[in-house]
Amino acid sequence: MLASDLKEKPGREAEAITGYAAKRKPKMAVFHCVNALDDAVFLPFTCRDEAEVKVVKLPCSIMITDIYLLKAFEAGANNVLIFACPEGQCRYVKGSIRTTKRVARVKKMLEDIGLGSKHLSLFNISQGDGDTAYRIIEEKLAELICPADGVDR
Amino acid sequence: MIVGERKPIAEIKEMVSPYERLLVLGCGTCVKTCFAGGEDEVAVLASALRLAYRKSDKGLQVEELTVERQCEDEFIQEASKVVSCNDAVLSMACGAGVQAIARRFPGAVVLPGVNTTFIGVLEKRGVFTEECVGCGNCVLGEFAGICPITRCSKKLLNGPCGGSRNGKCEVNPDIECAWSLIIERYRDLGQMDNLRAYVPPKNWSTSTAGGPRKLVREDHMI
Repeated sequence: MLASDLKEKPGREAEAITGYAAKRKPKMAVFHCVNALDDAVFLPFTCRDEAEVKVVKLPCSIMITDIYLLKAFEAGANNVLIFACPEGQCRYVKGSIRTTKRVARVKKMLEDIGLGSKHLSLFNISQGDGDTAYRIIEEKLAELICPADGVDR
Repeated sequence: MIVGERKPIAEIKEMVSPYERLLVLGCGTCVKTCFAGGEDEVAVLASALRLAYRKSDKGLQVEELTVERQCEDEFIQEASKVVSCNDAVLSMACGAGVQAIARRFPGAVVLPGVNTTFIGVLEKRGVFTEECVGCGNCVLGEFAGICPITRCSKKLLNGPCGGSRNGKCEVNPDIECAWSLIIERYRDLGQMDNLRAYVPPKNWSTSTAGGPRKLVREDHMI
């Protein structure tokens, strides 16, 4: 195949033909409540070469509506993580409870459309527990970069 | 308001599968209030459909628009340009809105994205309850402002029946006994004597039994 032929093809079609899709840099979107975690926790991940990690900080996890999560997937995220305060420790009282319900709803929607819900995860992190968050992101990134089941991301 | 619920994604996917360009058209009035077909729900559904078809061979281009009210022609007109650019319109309005779109755009394929459920109220956040069947002959004045035709499972005009238990209906313990509510309300109002009055059978000719209804306001017609 000539390079000029590929030029004519839309992005995904070209990737499918060349097999570049498998080599594409995996993307991860992280939404976090600023009351649960500090920005500094995520800094080491935003400058990784093997994966693209986008971090969105929020005044409360309840600010994440369904559309933000779906748009993250539309923008190419392979994995979306949400870090919220534990239920009962939310500064805005019921934020974490509502976030849990919203994430459950979006997970069901992802199942319904055939994308699978495993790409969306919610973690309740106690205030300042950056170590746990760091470990979770490391694990998720490792799964993305070298998937254990060999299934396409 | 008219309360509706978005159809399951699987059903919507099957409906839109023959088309390549789809307009998801929302309505910013009743169905927005009940989180079924407003601007936010349109964005979520459009995004979900784009994701659903992203991996399939057959692509689906999804456009979104929300008009203020789909049941009024003046508001629908602003959608005419986008309707003509798409193969089909997935209307997120109630049944009236879907039909108004079909009437306004005879050449467009119009599909329903919402199951219109009932006329109701927002009882508390996230809970909508049916309060009116639109019988065309309101009798709420005779029942302390609580409609037994809508809220009594047996539609009794001279209740309660023997199946009322602790203020709940025997049909379903989640349903409040309408007649229990009527009696309580009359007690609070000091009008218990009203319960002595016999209510004759209702005239149903104003309801849907006589076919589709029409309301004509001569004073508003030109």
